[in-house]
Amino acid sequence: MTTRTAPAPEKAGAPSRSRLRTLVDTPEVGVVLACFVVFATLALARDTFASAVNLQGMGADLAQYGLIAIGESLVILTGGIDLSVGALLGTSVILMSWFNVRAGLPVGLAVPATLAVAGLVGLVHGLAVTRLRMPPFVVTLVTYTVAQGVTLAITSGTSIIGISPFFGDIGQSYLAQVPVPLVLFAVVAFAAWFFLERTYAGRQVYAVGGNPEAARLAGIRGDRRVVSMYVTSSLMSAFAGMLVLGRMGVGSASGVGVGWELTAIAAAVIGGVSLTGGQGRVLGIVAGAVLLELINNGLTTLQVNSDYTNIVLGCVLGLAITADRLRARHVARRS
Amino acid sequence: MTGTAARTADRPAAALRAVRKSYGPVTVLDIPELELARGRITCLVGENGAGKSTLMGVLAGTVSPTSGEVLIADRPLQPGRPDHAKALGVSLVAQEFPLVGRLSVAENLLLGRRTRAAQGAGALRRALFDRAGTHREARELLADVGVEGVDVDLPVERLPVPLRQMIEIAKAWGNRPLVLILDEPTSSLGPVEAGKVLALARRHAADGGAVLFIGHRLDEVREVADRVLVLRGGRPVADLTPAEATEERMIREMVGGELARDLAASRAPAPARTVLTARGLTADGLGPVDLELRAGEIVGVAGLMGAGRSRLLHTLMGAQPRTGGEVELGGRPFRPRHPADAVAAGIGLVPEDRKEQSLLLSHSVRWNATLATLRRDSWHGVITPGGDRARSRRIIGDLGVRLHSQEQPIGDLSGGNQQKVVFGRWLHAAPEVLLLDEPTRGVDVGAKAEIYRLVDRAAADGLAVLAASSELEELLWVCHRILVMAHGRVVADLPRELFSKERIMTAATSRPEPAASTEATV
Repeated sequence: MTTRTAPAPEKAGAPSRSRLRTLVDTPEVGVVLACFVVFATLALARDTFASAVNLQGMGADLAQYGLIAIGESLVILTGGIDLSVGALLGTSVILMSWFNVRAGLPVGLAVPATLAVAGLVGLVHGLAVTRLRMPPFVVTLVTYTVAQGVTLAITSGTSIIGISPFFGDIGQSYLAQVPVPLVLFAVVAFAAWFFLERTYAGRQVYAVGGNPEAARLAGIRGDRRVVSMYVTSSLMSAFAGMLVLGRMGVGSASGVGVGWELTAIAAAVIGGVSLTGGQGRVLGIVAGAVLLELINNGLTTLQVNSDYTNIVLGCVLGLAITADRLRARHVARRS
Repeated sequence: MTGTAARTADRPAAALRAVRKSYGPVTVLDIPELELARGRITCLVGENGAGKSTLMGVLAGTVSPTSGEVLIADRPLQPGRPDHAKALGVSLVAQEFPLVGRLSVAENLLLGRRTRAAQGAGALRRALFDRAGTHREARELLADVGVEGVDVDLPVERLPVPLRQMIEIAKAWGNRPLVLILDEPTSSLGPVEAGKVLALARRHAADGGAVLFIGHRLDEVREVADRVLVLRGGRPVADLTPAEATEERMIREMVGGELARDLAASRAPAPARTVLTARGLTADGLGPVDLELRAGEIVGVAGLMGAGRSRLLHTLMGAQPRTGGEVELGGRPFRPRHPADAVAAGIGLVPEDRKEQSLLLSHSVRWNATLATLRRDSWHGVITPGGDRARSRRIIGDLGVRLHSQEQPIGDLSGGNQQKVVFGRWLHAAPEVLLLDEPTRGVDVGAKAEIYRLVDRAAADGLAVLAASSELEELLWVCHRILVMAHGRVVADLPRELFSKERIMTAATSRPEPAASTEATV
């Protein structure tokens, strides 16, 4: 449906024992399966769920959350946390439209300028965490607070209208029926996968998150990896902000991005990313984001009172963490 | 000086009966019978790993013995219950102080205890924190152990280490224990405070308590002991009276009496070029150190715990900041600011603690094997899975690591096999100098031999090896030369002809020169 999915688990006719075992040991299997089950259930329950329009809407939503979930996960892999992704996304929306409308900059400057600001914020995060040894939670909590304030200060609560049509073209158009944001998300997800699985720097990110001292003594400059992951996370927020701006059509400060960092963290955790760092894969993160979007949208489709949405999402999170613990314990006991 | 004759006739303060502690097949402690008499100071000596800490832990309830019984004042100690041990009257001053850094000196001193005023008071008084009483008792306690001029409001973490050690001793003292256990209490102290601690031990004995003193400075042991117990390989091998316990005798018992065998000096290194030179190297707790390392040479670094062996290796590796001195590597000045610089220049380090410093425990053997060479082996930053697997297979194959699959988590392997992977990681990096820190710790005997054969083979190919180890036997067996460290300095440089355990232990237990002592503001 969205990006690459797991090698279909059920299909195996006569898989060798070890193959099956590898599959069971793969932490992402559960989430991917859950995605299929939830999707199938909802599609059977309501015809409208699997309709093209709804799927397209879900795809565009997924792109927004998914992008910051990937950025967030990269930080979590280093053993940190980034609480600022949602707030920074909100600020990016406003900043981008402010540059574009109020400052009169063309898109070609407004977007890079916003990305640069976000990148700088990420750099500050990274340096504070590595050089000053400040706890990531606190560092990004500061940005979380400040960024929300900046958003309101710029707009005084009003919306910025009259943004370039470029944003709409990015945020609202389709490529062969597939929302462009979703395509961009797929590209970013692939890039993240390639970085983590196929580059030495990606492997070093895991090493730093898994055991910083071992990485250091093996001659890995972990601080560089950590800083670059914070920068990437902030850039992802700004990039996702561009898509959000396009979908909304106006630069609105009302609640955009508020609380999204929790969705991002939840997607990562559900996808098997360990909050202590060093463990987790892009497949899981994407599946985690997909699952959250399916549930979120599904509850709307089922016309469940939106007041209950968070209860359900919270329960899913609790379930995912418990399942992961049990699986890890099972694996540990067997060896 | 010791207790009265009437007291010695009393029941023992503590008794161990047929106590054994094993980890899997390895027995680390085997004490058929041991009694600690009231009014006496029993000193415990032994090499690193002789079982001193385990014995101490068994008495203090932090280690539960595999079998056997511990009696404190004739009452059986529930194994693995430090709180029970404390209630029965055991107080332990550990080498690593479990003080709560953020809390004040006063709060630490009375941690887990009520002030006298609060003890008799009503329920409400008892539930509240008695600030004034805590301060008063803390000050009394410090004065009692001879520490003056300390602000009891200061957080403990702001105090220098020697003073923290004194606080820790005062804390144990404040529990009014029957059995006082002191684990190398003077290792971080200067002569003045050391003297106070010894006096305190004597006072405790004179008051009718039992003292178990784990010593590493043999002169101190001689000064204070009423009885010296020597442990070797987890077993008591000698029970000496003060008259018998000369330093020579203690060392002989500690190392096992047998003289270092001349192990067919088969691998006398050809006079080769010098690879690494250090002059006046200093760092926090280290130096100044001079040393020279030649290609193909295996140089051992011996010394007691805290002698600065790891610091030396870490400073050479750039993992600990250097404060002075010059190092040359291959004739060029070498000034690493990060281990990455050292790796790039051709140095590798097998650290002391596999779990904490070497391995990504939950990741695969393959990831662990290729960790140090990821960048060098990548193609413009890209690692191909096939290439990575092939390299890891070669590393594993070269070292004879026993495993199911290179994709299994390295945490599943035995200690010996894990260590072989770490060795393979570095041998694959093809360094000029390999630094080994306790390379065989937690490794079974078979794997030990294999690991040393690998070291030997690599040295024969021109690798210079600097190996720090507490296992003297191993150093004697494998090294061309042994440096002995004490108090952060190299105190002896022994060529193969002069190898003997006695010589090494004598050098390692020598008193620090006055200049090296750390005088605290006591």
